[in-house]
This record gives sequence, structure tokens and C-alpha cells, in this order.
Amino acid sequence: MAFTGVLAVEEETREVFMNVGTAGEIIFYVVSTLTIGVFFWGSYRRVKKYRRGRAAFRMANLKKALFANPFQGVRRREDTWSVGAVAANSSVARRDRAAGIAHFFVFWGFITLFIGTVILTIDYDIVRKASKLIVGEEMSFFQGTFYIVYSVILDTMGFTAVLGLAYLAFRRGAIRPKKLDYERAEKPEGGYSRSKIVLGDWVFIGLFAAILATGYFLEAFRIVATGFPSFEVWSPVGWVLGRGFEAVGLSTAAAGTAQIITWWTHAALALTFVGMIPFSKAMHMLLDGVNLLVHDRSSVRHLPAPPPEAEHVGYQELSDFTWKELLDLDACTKCGRCHEVCPARTAGAPLSPRDLILDLRQWADANTGGITLLDHETRPDRTGPLTVDHEAPIAGGVISSRTLWSCTTCMHCVEVCPVGIEHVPTIVQLRRGLVDQGDMDPTLQTALKNLSTQGNSFGKSARMRARWTKGLDFKIKDARKEPVKYLWFVGDFASFDDRLQANSIALARILNAAGVDFGILYEGERNAGNDVRRVGEEGLFEMLADHNIAALESAQFEEIFTTDPHSLNTLRNEYPERGASYKVWHYTELLLDLVESGTIPVRSLGQKVTYHDPCYLGRYNGVTEAPRKLLKALGCELVEMPRNGANSFCCGAGGGRIWMDDSFLEERPSENRIREALGVGVDKFIVSCPKDVTMYSDAVKTTGNEGQMEVRDIVFLVQEALTNKPAEPGDLLERTGV
Amino acid sequence: MRIVVAMKAVPDLVEEIELTPDETDIDREYLKFVLNEWDDQALEEALLVKDATGAEVVAVGLADDPDIDQALYTAIAKGADGAVMLEGGGADTHSRAAAFAEYLAKEPADLVITGVQAPDDLDGQLAPMLAARLGQRHVSVVVGVEAKDGNVVVRQEFSGGRAHVLELPLPAVIGLQASRETPRYAPITRIRQAMQAGGVRGESVSTDVASSGLSVRRMFRPEQTSHAEMLEGDVDDIADKILELLRERGMVKG
Ligand code: SF4
Ligand code: SF4
Repeated sequence: MAFTGVLAVEEETREVFMNVGTAGEIIFYVVSTLTIGVFFWGSYRRVKKYRRGRAAFRMANLKKALFANPFQGVRRREDTWSVGAVAANSSVARRDRAAGIAHFFVFWGFITLFIGTVILTIDYDIVRKASKLIVGEEMSFFQGTFYIVYSVILDTMGFTAVLGLAYLAFRRGAIRPKKLDYERAEKPEGGYSRSKIVLGDWVFIGLFAAILATGYFLEAFRIVATGFPSFEVWSPVGWVLGRGFEAVGLSTAAAGTAQIITWWTHAALALTFVGMIPFSKAMHMLLDGVNLLVHDRSSVRHLPAPPPEAEHVGYQELSDFTWKELLDLDACTKCGRCHEVCPARTAGAPLSPRDLILDLRQWADANTGGITLLDHETRPDRTGPLTVDHEAPIAGGVISSRTLWSCTTCMHCVEVCPVGIEHVPTIVQLRRGLVDQGDMDPTLQTALKNLSTQGNSFGKSARMRARWTKGLDFKIKDARKEPVKYLWFVGDFASFDDRLQANSIALARILNAAGVDFGILYEGERNAGNDVRRVGEEGLFEMLADHNIAALESAQFEEIFTTDPHSLNTLRNEYPERGASYKVWHYTELLLDLVESGTIPVRSLGQKVTYHDPCYLGRYNGVTEAPRKLLKALGCELVEMPRNGANSFCCGAGGGRIWMDDSFLEERPSENRIREALGVGVDKFIVSCPKDVTMYSDAVKTTGNEGQMEVRDIVFLVQEALTNKPAEPGDLLERTGV
Repeated sequence: MRIVVAMKAVPDLVEEIELTPDETDIDREYLKFVLNEWDDQALEEALLVKDATGAEVVAVGLADDPDIDQALYTAIAKGADGAVMLEGGGADTHSRAAAFAEYLAKEPADLVITGVQAPDDLDGQLAPMLAARLGQRHVSVVVGVEAKDGNVVVRQEFSGGRAHVLELPLPAVIGLQASRETPRYAPITRIRQAMQAGGVRGESVSTDVASSGLSVRRMFRPEQTSHAEMLEGDVDDIADKILELLRERGMVKG
């Protein structure tokens, strides 16, 4: 027994290396040192990998998350998280309360136990040894009241970890939510297996559980062996367990033997765990806090430009990624939340954001000699994420082009990811390479070509853009020629699509009748470029944006409003970087203002409706309240679909998908959505995005629900509710033959 | 192998085309010009041959064609090794053929590929005229060109699903109907880079050496007929009605 005799005062404490012996203690220290060496070596390799990435400019985020705004995101999801939100596990509990609470227990249980161990090390290895050297006698603070408080805290927190872990294991093993099965969305031809990943998860949980269990057993055996000293009641779990052992007849001597065996088992497990951290799922414990602190959701709203000094277009090697993007790859815990919400995956497309991140992670590891013990996929033909040394390009090889093209850039993955991964910018960076190689759908190619020659995807003459205004009995002002208060950025679909021009006409008539001073750019407008940018055709985006900016600069107006949420996003968030900062509204915001202020007098419609939030309006730009308030002001009863607001389900048209073939999908996202709406028992599906009218009207037909569900733009509800109606637009349409 | 792709800019047909006040030509003033779509196919086919054999591809156009520089830079962005803009030459197909021939005499090509037709040359005269001027072999309405042992193998399609496969020695002139693959996309960034690098070379040729000698007296806009009749009934009824209509109009006998 080491040192006991030297302790100055006989107070409540426990022996740190009880029964271990000097030789044992030496062995323990040698193995611990080696383990810590392995831990640092593994961690160093990971950090070295991130350092190969480009600058990500996230230091300001880190500062904000730590100091300026340490509670950001605790209660509500915002663009960034904070140290408070990490501590509260806010991102984990969001959208999955039970898992969040369980994780919170494990999280704090683990941290407390870790701090406990550190305190013990400080006392045993530093204070006692230093005091012996300096004052010649061993001093310790690990005794008396301190020991008692320490015991009670560690004992209870450890127990919460046991409870949390038990629930999580039960959930994974018995409840088996779909999102936790690792079936790939894209099935590689040569087959694949993810059984090692599954095993890795269980090893992680199992090791952790075994460490906790042996800890309590150890405590109980010690208490039995030392004859239940009264102060040990402050280790309640150990005490109760000890009493249990006593009841089944465990002798003091046998308890001593059991204690020393358990001690070594506990130590071995704990050291194995520490050594495995950088090589297994456990690395998320270290990385994910950091990833959350540097996370910035706004990177999806205004996409990063391609790497400025790269010699090639698109990502071709590891050093093309930013360190944040590389950190993202390692941060994924495979929780499957993104996999579950992804419209592409839901529709049966070969894309799952989780798989995308895991594949890139494995590829990055394979190419940097990074080692994960179990946490990787195996494939007999060594394709995809297993390719090394540029055998296959990243975009189109490691990640297949079909996978990359399946993304609607709906941002739902980024929205729900509990660890702050930003999938969409990475997907777009990879798409840029595909565009450069011309690896795309012919229909997309045609759309891009049309956009570059005529500024619209319809391939119609740029000069026909304002032709729909011929359906009006007044002339909309040309903002390039006379000053207006609002500039209406109409957008392609609302201008060119025959089925949608009636929406534009209705809005124009309402605004005109309300005396709103507005104008348009006529043929000066081009496609705003939001989706062109998300397709990955950066040069074309720049061309379109610069053209629009020149037109905006030549016009006189105070603020902009748009009918199209996609245009709104890029005008609001991406044009400022190109030197055009304007206040940009969505037409629902404008209409709400006019209705609320009484400028547009309306009567109550008394209709029961549901409302679909467009991704680029609700999730991207947080405009969820205005349309709802507007519906309320119109006297409509809003029945929410289960997925609403920032959690809305994508219609499938975004990110350029509207220009690509979707006939191979098992169920189009829009069809899935219509079924959801039917499920809440309404027959009016209200939208506030021109593309949605097309997408959902089609979906109503293809799901065979014609007559069951009416898809209407919110503008028509306003029109219907007007107390002093302008003439029916239908008459005019016929008169002018538009 | 050196392949020259002879190109032409034509009015973008999505635009509303107006006639000049004297009605002898279309009003080019406000029109947007784009590359003739068959020439785009010709370029693609040339680039496919390049991809397979490493041939050199040069795109050639006439400087008087509006916006032709755009098309030439796009060709470079897609992978052409160079582009030449000919100063001189006239507007009709005869003088275009003469201009190209003059250039090709200076810088001969093993293979010339051009679009089989253009919206303003629906007869597809350019390829045969050019071949005649150069005294070379010519095949038109081709849907695929492949190099083989110093010759080219071309596929020529006819109506009714018949096709020829011909092998011919070089040099030759091909009028291309359709490329084997959809013409590739040229990213704007690459086009910009090509413009910055300034890879289009000017060459002068003599003007109006050979015009067709034809003059246009008057142009007309196509007559608009927007009458459609929906046939109703079951399959047999509809078939009978169609047959009746065809008989009425003398399209089938008996
Ligand atoms: S943005 Fe939407 S479609 Fe794309 S991966 Fe994320 S969830 Fe899927
Ligand atoms: S990317 Fe995020 S949401 Fe998706 S599985 Fe990984 S941790 Fe979960």
C-alpha cells in the first residue's frame, strides 16, 4: 500500500491506488503515458489534416460564440451556435427531445467524471508529490468535506450518464429509428458493407457503459472491503451496490480481491477508450463542440465563391477544401437527421447528405493515411470513398455526379444537423467541377445556354420579359425611366410561364388599385442567378448578377420586392457582395403591410387552408410569419402540415433541379408533400412562390388527386378578399390574348 | 489531323424577326445572333474526333457575321485549339464558300466539317460548294465522323431509317446533320478566359469574289395558320377520320 501512513491527518478519503501495489502503479503509469501518447498522435494527425485545408474565415464566429454572444442559439436556432448552446446540448435536443435529454445526461456525466479524474490527478500526482519535495511531507486536499462533496457529485452525475446511455442504447438497439440504419441512398454496383460502422457504434457505447459499470462495482467492492465507513454513504450508488453484495454474502476478503480485479479492468477500459478517441466515433466528443462554435448557417444563404487562387475549377484535391469543410467531415455522428429530412433521399434519389459526408470523410482519411478503427465502410471493389491517389475525381468519382445533381439545395440538412455541418456549400463546390467538365443533364445544359444568351431559362427572347404586362389595363412604371418607391423584381417564372402570368397580373392589379408606387425593369431584368449559382455555374451567375446590378443602378427606387423567393435570396444575401445592397421584401410581406394598414380593405374569407413554406423563404430567410399573418388577416383558418416553417419540406425544384429530369424518382418530393397536405384534411394548398404553383399543380395531377386539392398562390386569396374589386383579370386575359 | 470547322452566326430564332422597310431582307439591327445550331453540332463532332485521336481543331467564321467572336471564343472554351476570323467575304452562301476556300488554300485542312444547313441555307449548299471549290470529296447529312487509319468513316442517314456507312480518304468536306453527342456546355468562366487570352486570329480574304448573282425582290412573313381541330371518338373513329382527311387532301390514294 502506498503512502497511507504518511498522510498527515486521518480524514474521510479513499486510497487512490488501493491494493494496486508499487509495481502495479508503475505499470499503470507507463501504460497511461503510452495511451496518452497514442491519443495525441491520433489527434495531431487529424489536426494536421485540417491544416491542409484552405482558410475558412471563421475566427470571428468563434469569438462571438465564446465571448460576444455566449448564449446564442440556446433557445432558438440561429445562424450560429455558442458555448452556451453547446453546454445546453441545444442542437441535439432540437427536433429530438428524448435523444437530446439522454445525450445531455451522458455529456455532463462524462464531463464531470473527466473533471473528477483531473482533480484526482492534480491532488495525487501534483499536490502530494510537490508538497513532499518542497515541505518534505505529503499534503492532500482529497479528503474531508472536499472528498464528500466530490463523491456525491461524481456518483450522481455518473448515474445520470448511466441512465442516458441506457436510453440511447435502447433506442439504437430496440426502438431502431429508421434514421439510424445505415442503408445507403446510392447503392454502389459492386456492393458495400457498413457493418463495421455499426460495430463501431456499439463498441463506443459498450466501452462507455463498461467504464461506468466497472467504476461503480469498484466503488462498491472498496466500500465492502473497507467495512462500510460511514462517510462512504456519500457515494450512494456504490453504497447501495455494496449493501447488495453484502446481502448476497460477499466477504470483506473476497471484496478486496474483486476490488483489485475490477480496478485493473476499469483502468484497462478507460485507457482503451482514451486511446481510441481520435480513431473512432468518440472523436465527435472533441470535434463537435468546435464545429458548432465555428458553424455559420449563413454560408448557405450566401455561398462562398470558388477558391480564388485555384488553378482548376471545382474541388480536385484535399487542399481545395477549407479546414471547416474538412472538420465537417469528421464531425458527423451519423445521427441520420439529415438523411431523414432530405427530399432527394425521400424521393429515392441517390443522395443522402449523411452518406455524402461519410464518403468524403473516408476518402479524406484514405488519402491522408488517417486511420479509423471501425468507423468505415467496406467495398469489395474499392470504389467511391475507398479510392486513393486520384484514381477517380472527387466530383463524379468519389461522389457520383448523379448524387451531386440530386440535391435541391433545400438546406434542410444544414438546418437539422446537430453538429453544425454545412453540406450545401460543399455540394455546390463539387458541382462547380461537374459544370466545368460538362457532366450534366442535357436539359440543364439547355437551360444554362438559354440563360447565357437570353437571360431566362425558358429560351424566350429577353425582350419578351415584360410581355405579360400587356394583360393589364394600365401601364406599370418603368423604373429605369421614372422614380418609384418599390422596384418589383418579377423573376423568370412569374414573367415567362404562361400558367403563372395570371399571378403576376393579379398582384399588379392589387398593388395598382391600392395606390402603391411601383415599377419594374422591363427587359432590363435577367434571371437573378440564385439557382444558376447553386447549379455551380459561377461565371454565369456573375454575368447575370452584374447585368441585373447595372440595371438596378440605372433605375430609381427605394426598396425592392420580389415574387420569387429564390430571387429574393440572392438579391438579399449575395448581391451585396457584388456592390448592390438594397432592402428586399417578399410580396407576402408587402401585402401584409398593405392589409394590416387598411390600405387594402379585405373581408373575411373563412376558408380552411394549409400553407407551404418555400425553402428559400422560410428556411433560408426566416420569412414564415408574414404569410401566416396575412392568411389570418384574410380570415382563413390555417391548418399546419406536420412539416412547416423552417422545417418545411422541399418541393423538389430548387438548386436547378427544376431544369433536370425527375422521372426516375420513386415519389417526387412535391407528391410526398401533397399527400402530407391531404393528411391534414384541407383542400386548399396555399403557396407563395411561383415555382410552387407549377410543382404542386402537377403533383396534384400525378398523384391522382385532381379535384381533391386546389393549389393557389396567396395573391389570389387577397384578390378574392378585396372588398372593392378591380375587374376580373380573366376578362382582360381574353381581351388581350395573352 | 487538322480539322477546320466552318461556322456561321444566325439570328436567334426566339427573337421576333422583322423585315427591313423595303422588305428585301430581315432587319438585323436589333437582332441577337447565335451560332447556327448545325455548326454547333459540327464543332462537337470535330471535338469528339479530337478527343479520340488528338486531332487539331480550328474554328473559322466570317468577321461580318454579328457576334461571331462570341461563337469562336466559345469554341476555344470547349476545346478548339484555335479560331480564325476572316475579314472580307460576302453574305450569301456562294461568297461564304469562296471565302472559306481561299482561307483553306492558305492553311489547308485534312477535314472540313460544317453544319449541313442553316436557317437561312436550308438547301445545305455550303458544304458541297466548298468541296467543289477545293476539289475535294464531300458527304452531307452525316451523323457521325470517326477517324480510321488515315481515312474517315462517316455515317449518312436517309429517311425511312436507312443509313450508309462510308469510308473516305482525306482531305474531305463533311456537312454534318447531327453530332454523336449533345454539344458540350461551355462554362462562362472558360469563355471569359478564352476572351482574355485572345485566341482568335484575324485573316483577310478577298471580298465578293463570287456572289450568287441572285437578288431578293421581296420577302414575306410566313402565313399564320393557327387552326387546330380536335378529333373525338374511339380509336377506330379517329383512325377513320384521319384517313378521310388524308384522302380529301389527296395525300393518300384510293
Ligand atoms: S440541401 Fe436538401 S436536397 Fe440537398 S442534401 Fe441537403 S437536405 Fe438533401
Ligand atoms: S451530417 Fe449532421 S445530421 Fe447528418 S448524420 Fe451527420 S451529424 Fe447527423
